Amino acid sequence: MELKVFRFRPGMSGPRYDSFEIDPVPGMTVLAGLFRAQEKDDTLAFRYSCRGAVCGTCAMLINKVPRLACRTQVQDLLEGKAPVQLSPYPALEVTVPLDSRKEVLIEPLPHLPVIRDLIVDMSLFFEYYRFIEPVFSPAGPEPEKERPMSPAAVKELVPYTNCILCGACFGACPVNARNPHYLGPAALATLYRFHIDPREAGGAPRLRRADTPDGWWGCEFHTNCRRVCPKGVPPNVAIGRARQEIKAASRSAEGRGAGR
Amino acid sequence: MAGYISPEEGTGITEGAISAWDAVIIGGGLTGLRAALQVSRAGLSVAVISKVHPLRSHSVAAQGGMNAALGNVLGEGGAADSWESHAYDTVRGSDYLADQDAVALMCREAPATVIELEHMGTVWSRLGDGRIAQRPFGGAGFPRTCYAEDRTGHNVLHTLYQQVLGRKIPVFEEFFVTSLVMDGGRCAGCTALEIMTGAIHGFASRATLLATGGFGRIFSRSTNALINTGDGVALALRAGAPLKDMEFVQFHPTTLYGTNILISEAARGEGGILVNRTGERFMARYAPHALDLAPRDVVARAIEEEITRGNGFDGGYVQLDLRHLGAGRIMERLPGIRQIAMDFAGVDPVKEPIPVQPGQHYSMGGIDVNTGGMSGLPGLYAAGECACISVHGANRLGGNSLLETVVFGRLVADSMIRDIPSVAEPARGPVESAMAGTETGIRKILGRSGGDSPFALLHELEETMFLHFGIFREGQKMQEGLRKIKRLQERSLQVTLSNKESAVNQALVRYLELEGMLQLAEVVALGALAREESRGSHTRRDYPHRDDGRFLAHTVATMEKGKVTIDYKPVGLGMFEIEERGY
Repeated sequence: MELKVFRFRPGMSGPRYDSFEIDPVPGMTVLAGLFRAQEKDDTLAFRYSCRGAVCGTCAMLINKVPRLACRTQVQDLLEGKAPVQLSPYPALEVTVPLDSRKEVLIEPLPHLPVIRDLIVDMSLFFEYYRFIEPVFSPAGPEPEKERPMSPAAVKELVPYTNCILCGACFGACPVNARNPHYLGPAALATLYRFHIDPREAGGAPRLRRADTPDGWWGCEFHTNCRRVCPKGVPPNVAIGRARQEIKAASRSAEGRGAGR
Repeated sequence: MAGYISPEEGTGITEGAISAWDAVIIGGGLTGLRAALQVSRAGLSVAVISKVHPLRSHSVAAQGGMNAALGNVLGEGGAADSWESHAYDTVRGSDYLADQDAVALMCREAPATVIELEHMGTVWSRLGDGRIAQRPFGGAGFPRTCYAEDRTGHNVLHTLYQQVLGRKIPVFEEFFVTSLVMDGGRCAGCTALEIMTGAIHGFASRATLLATGGFGRIFSRSTNALINTGDGVALALRAGAPLKDMEFVQFHPTTLYGTNILISEAARGEGGILVNRTGERFMARYAPHALDLAPRDVVARAIEEEITRGNGFDGGYVQLDLRHLGAGRIMERLPGIRQIAMDFAGVDPVKEPIPVQPGQHYSMGGIDVNTGGMSGLPGLYAAGECACISVHGANRLGGNSLLETVVFGRLVADSMIRDIPSVAEPARGPVESAMAGTETGIRKILGRSGGDSPFALLHELEETMFLHFGIFREGQKMQEGLRKIKRLQERSLQVTLSNKESAVNQALVRYLELEGMLQLAEVVALGALAREESRGSHTRRDYPHRDDGRFLAHTVATMEKGKVTIDYKPVGLGMFEIEERGY
């Protein structure tokens, strides 16, 4: 089989695609395949760390789906298993011919500038993460022991605390493709995580931070984010609920205004 | 072309620069970030340098939890846990090689540490009454391990990273530290290669903390992230700091067959059992009381014995069976484990047992430091897995490493904060000459031709360490391994990269890692050869018993002019009697 890999370095007018012939081994992941390719051409650049789908380093566009390279089995791709249907956006358009029974196409995560080959500059993604102020701000003074939390409340939070900030959702979002100012699914999901943390109740009014056209209101509910998330985080649910709450709050404020 | 960065736009080649700080922290995992917060809160200037984005640090992969005698869950017969009991379990688990004062300090600080993280926002799993939940772990007399499902490291690391963002602490991401700057015997900062641009930077600092994690990747079959190459330990060794107990390498009993991704001890803490090919729960023969929850060294040896005796499955593994826990409990308490088994072995633990084998997991040894994190060199501190304080001795208990990172991240920062005011501002001269030295060194490496690739040597090193310094060790086999390591060291001097650029040259980074790994491998080998006994994780077929007369002592290794010397120093005792260790 062959890995067809996007190559780019500063000075090139555009990308080129290099093919690497790899002996497929059972259980081989795309990341493992990339390491073999790198042993043949040590100028090939890609990020890696945990190789176990927990650190979020190696999100890239694999056969036109943003995924973690370390979690994606080469054999599954060749056999066409577990296809992911996505709402279209420009990065998914055909760039290069692909025989998906013999080849795997590997390109950098969309919507972020390419530094080299498969390495993108994540600055914008983390700028939006910082923008939502992801710092726990509890209400009231610090107790001596833990602030109690019901297991049910924990269960509500966990889908969002599971985010590993890999950026797959950012690279899968048709709105991010069009609007570089849109905060994106991961940042919004994190903001919602703090909003629903019962230990913050009565603290900072969190939802307002993204009550803008580039925040909660930018989402078009393509739900690509949910479909590509390697950790099952549902940003679309967070965004939908946030919008409902904001609407409800403004309705009740209007109601109060009318009654005055 | 829009969307691509051109050289003029900034992330192209930039000039290296010297910056000056009160404290520089090398490593952005739990220890590094916790220390950075502490130094920043004290009003001192601090920078974090990491070869990866902090959230990609290996801390993120810790699954099972953090031990603390909160006493939220009572033990057998309604007994309440205590820090003394935690300390006793830790010392016994260490096979009496841990320093008892360091262990006492860690265990006393543990409950406040878990609470502190809760106050920073960590979403710990909870009991029905809202308090932090705790579960049983190997070698522990009480359900003591606090956890966030089976993603504890992920949750705590994200919490600390968020706090670091909140304080706007500068983080130099994807900077590979190439040397410690020494000025008259004192550590005065470091130099670093900015991986994305190839620029060499200088960091002058009054205090430098190494928090770079373990060196597990010198072994094949490791649970560790690919980045765990022991860079900080090698930096310290080269700068002249002593290393301690480097031969004590933990092999985790349950790593996923095929990829050696960790299957947390929490799986057994929740009730999972190990079975061999005949379906026998074999731990009953090796640890009749503690069974599957005996300490890791005991369980790893048992599995390896079973495999050696032909009781394993074809390919060399046993099975970890969780099915009797039921789908509900697996999905609630071990969702990450289930995901890993499904993603990487195609096995759903709700329906099938998980194939597991032992694999390298943790470096008990490291930079020799005291409880204040001070190394043998003034100005240089170390904490976390790269350090050896020693709270783990010859065998670490599950749930104690996350604890160590956060406790000592804070306490060592405190000792830096105490020392910094009396240190003069470091001179620029030594930093400049270290930068020039790094530049020359890198130019030389890139200029070579005709040698092996770094990848080939790395594979040979990993295999050598696994085969000759694995779970069961033996003198002659280790001698042979040491000779192989020496030959690899010689060959490494000729390693040749096809990539001749300094910017985004990952082969260069791999080579710089490899240089250190080969030095650490030698120290592990020499320590293991000299220690003619079996203690904790260090098991010698030719010396099967613990020998307190000769070896109730820490191994201390130093390197001078490329030559490693092994010596010993006493273990801190006094709180608990030395006993035979049975489970």
